[in-house]
Amino acid sequence: MKKLFTTAAIASAAVFGLAGQASADGHCGSLTIAEMNWASAEFIANLDKIVLESGFGCEIELIPGATMTTFASMDSKGVPDVAPELWANAVQTPLKKAVSENRMAVLNTAPITGAGEGWMIDAKTAKENNLKTLADVIARPDLFPHPEDASKGGFVTCPAGWGCQIASNNLFKGFKMGDKGWKIVDSGSSAGLDGSIEKAANRGEPWFGYYWGPTVLASKANLFLLDMGPFAGNDHWDNCVMDPECADVKPSAWVTSVVTTAVTSNFMEVGPKVAQDYIAKRQFPADAMNAMLNLKDENQWTGEDTAYEFIERYPDLWKSWVPADVAAKIEKSL
Amino acid sequence: MSFLTEVPEMPRGQLRDFKKGIDESFREFSAAYGEGIENFFEPLLWFMVWFEKMLLAAPWPVVVLIVGALSWVGSRNWKLSLGSVACFIVIGYLGMWEDTMATLAIISVATLLCISLGIPLGIWMAKSNRVQSALTPILDIMQTIPSFVYLIPVVMLLGIGKVPGLLAVCIYAIPPIVRLTNLGIRLVDKEVLEAADAFGADYRQRLFGVQVPLALPNIFAGVNQTIMMALAMVVIASMIGVKGLGVPVLRAISNQYLALGVLNGLAIVALAIIFDRVSQEYGRRLQAHRQGVDHG
Repeated sequence: MKKLFTTAAIASAAVFGLAGQASADGHCGSLTIAEMNWASAEFIANLDKIVLESGFGCEIELIPGATMTTFASMDSKGVPDVAPELWANAVQTPLKKAVSENRMAVLNTAPITGAGEGWMIDAKTAKENNLKTLADVIARPDLFPHPEDASKGGFVTCPAGWGCQIASNNLFKGFKMGDKGWKIVDSGSSAGLDGSIEKAANRGEPWFGYYWGPTVLASKANLFLLDMGPFAGNDHWDNCVMDPECADVKPSAWVTSVVTTAVTSNFMEVGPKVAQDYIAKRQFPADAMNAMLNLKDENQWTGEDTAYEFIERYPDLWKSWVPADVAAKIEKSL
Repeated sequence: MSFLTEVPEMPRGQLRDFKKGIDESFREFSAAYGEGIENFFEPLLWFMVWFEKMLLAAPWPVVVLIVGALSWVGSRNWKLSLGSVACFIVIGYLGMWEDTMATLAIISVATLLCISLGIPLGIWMAKSNRVQSALTPILDIMQTIPSFVYLIPVVMLLGIGKVPGLLAVCIYAIPPIVRLTNLGIRLVDKEVLEAADAFGADYRQRLFGVQVPLALPNIFAGVNQTIMMALAMVVIASMIGVKGLGVPVLRAISNQYLALGVLNGLAIVALAIIFDRVSQEYGRRLQAHRQGVDHG
């Protein structure tokens, strides 16, 4: 019995191997795409699935995951083949290493324009009190009372264990906010952070903390990124702001977020050239992405629903990403 | 035949409206009453902040001595008392003092709250079958519903911080004390109750002189379970911004820091064992004493 399994395994490996070989000249084999656990990534993964399946004849399986776990699996096991929306700051060093060792490739360095993270406040409070920059906000701790000590201002920091927690808490020191009447509010987890924003938005209360976009929550709560002043340099960011032990943190803007579409070397070999071109060209303008995310949330669509709606609503956009014959195939399949 | 092969399903639009309706009405509720509910819990928050500050401000030898003394008073067992002192010193030495104090503060308040609400509820449940049949499913829900399901509504209502954390802990930790108090009282022999009635005991005398003392083993098992479950919730509570040992555990989980996770996890275990042994010993002593009076 065991021998039978082994033979079968070898045989199937050979078949897949052949499939891989054959596809280099135009056919597409079976590929896996990471469907990460937030709205925009779900949507892009499903759109890629539809385009690659009906446009290029690939066989796509979606694999759910989170940033760190997906990256670790891509790097060491080569599965999944495509991470449509990978926030590269979290995995910067290992990603560079994987690219230089030819295990992975970055096909698209900006799948969503205007994506970014940093310190945000809600537009309503900003307008009412004429707050334009981070310096303006820091001068008014009274507007954002800390839940456990109303005499201090509360800054909602990033969830425990995320890289942004180290950076946010260090910058808190860097801007000397402790001396200016501020205290950190621990958000604990992404659920806690989201909940605190929901609550503030729901009741029209001011909110000041770390968040990122484009996200449904940021656009629903009307959060915008604060101008944090000049960036103190990559060297300072990597060696001090990201180091919990760093004693001398200088004020700095948030490092530019690098959002990428990363693929495995397997995709570069198996995927047809045109499919690679599609991934490289696929770039969502911020307003289209925001509109889709809001619709997704309002109608409680799945990632798949959102992808089909996008194909219907923004034909000019996606048709510019694929050759005309592929676009026709996709339209026919709807 | 499609009736047999396809599960009858609510039309998609209707289902969506149904879910959205619930979400919307909860949002409205939270916008309208959230602040009031928050103010209602204000004294509790104030007490917890004060208690934690006091634990943190007190010199560490004092805290360690109080822990040792309390466990001596509870258990009259010098080994246990020395062991708890040693545990706290090791915890402090390994750099977990502040987190442990924060956890101690929330767990003590949660346990006191659960016991002071749970035992009367259990007594009420034991008194009336109707209450029992109404409360049992509620307790089932509280114990089995995944905590993430109620974390977000609680956060939307009360924000992040100690009070929602305390509520999340209590929702999970209160059922055992209610159930076991109820069970303990219901298990008291009918003959004993008849005897009490025959001596002309009124309801209060019967309850506090006969039923509760005889139910003590079960009640203490409930107290013990409540403490254990409260400690198990420490990590979940940290997900909504409660400071304490759960925070480093969460940090360890997302960064694969093995040692950090294990050390803080073990500190939670140490707290649990100290609480458990002391309360068990105290319960045993209480009963031994009563038995001595009864039979002596």
